[in-house]
Amino acid sequence: MISELLINAFLVTIMLSIAIALIKTRTVIFTVILTSAYSLVAALMFITLDAVDVAFTEASVGAGISTILFLAAMAYLPKKEEESISSEFVPALSCIILGGILIWCSYDLPEIGQFTAPIHQHIAPEYIKGSKEDIGIPNIVTSVLASYRGYDTFGETIVVFTAGVAVLALLQKKDPAKKNKSQPKQKIRKNA
Amino acid sequence: MHNNPILRISTKILFAPIILFGLYVQFHGDFGPGGGFQAGVIVASAFILYSLVFGIEAGKKLFPSNINLILLALGGIIYGGVGIVSMLLGDEFLAYNVLGSSPQSGQHIGILLVELGVGLTVSNVMIALFNAFASYDNIKEK
Repeated sequence: MISELLINAFLVTIMLSIAIALIKTRTVIFTVILTSAYSLVAALMFITLDAVDVAFTEASVGAGISTILFLAAMAYLPKKEEESISSEFVPALSCIILGGILIWCSYDLPEIGQFTAPIHQHIAPEYIKGSKEDIGIPNIVTSVLASYRGYDTFGETIVVFTAGVAVLALLQKKDPAKKNKSQPKQKIRKNA
Repeated sequence: MHNNPILRISTKILFAPIILFGLYVQFHGDFGPGGGFQAGVIVASAFILYSLVFGIEAGKKLFPSNINLILLALGGIIYGGVGIVSMLLGDEFLAYNVLGSSPQSGQHIGILLVELGVGLTVSNVMIALFNAFASYDNIKEK
């Protein structure tokens, strides 16, 4: 129990210091790297909560690929953020109020891992039992993700697909000379 | 980065193990942590690493963008296709029980195919996004 507390305190301290460093830094590349580090610590936090699948996703997507994509996209931005001119008092106040409300609400949450919590009573027992008997897969997360909640995952896949296609449609407009050979080239000449 | 021997050699050594690990995560998702989303990202990272070190053009030679776009769409088609096949076999959309000889084997086949679809779409979207960003204005290729 005490070691768990120590680990959590350690991780929260690192996360807080990364967040403060994120506010202070004005260089875009440092912002990206610090966000990646933040994701990595978040992944460790998920491991302490025994959510290995989420931790895996956070480490590979949050800390890995999104950092690379951000870096690739940041090449088109100025190297440094501009200093904000407006007052920082109102945003800081609203952050503090919102954070206070969230902390206040968190006292009503059931303890982590408490068996009588509503979330462990509603539909989860059925999934845990069914995953073994109906589906026959040891990893309950996969059976929920791919079978019980197959529609949702289908939607997620289509969202990823749509996002990719949308970005391609936006970005490939400017660089058609290489790819499309006959017709679009003429169109662009006309436009130019 | 093209002339740095450490980067070039370590990329060549790491490329295959990264893809192997991605395949492990993909097809071992039933038994351990992992699945299509994570595996897709891991496989994509191998190709992105190659593009980063050897240049976008070399990356496109390794993995042509027309194949990339076909596979990008194929993932969603596989996922939806599993649903349609299960409908044709007389059950509801994405009900895998009818796909195999017993309900359990049907679930296994369904989950495997669906995860494969997710992995294909995610990995190819990531590669396509990186290529689109990196060759947008040809800044990177200098």
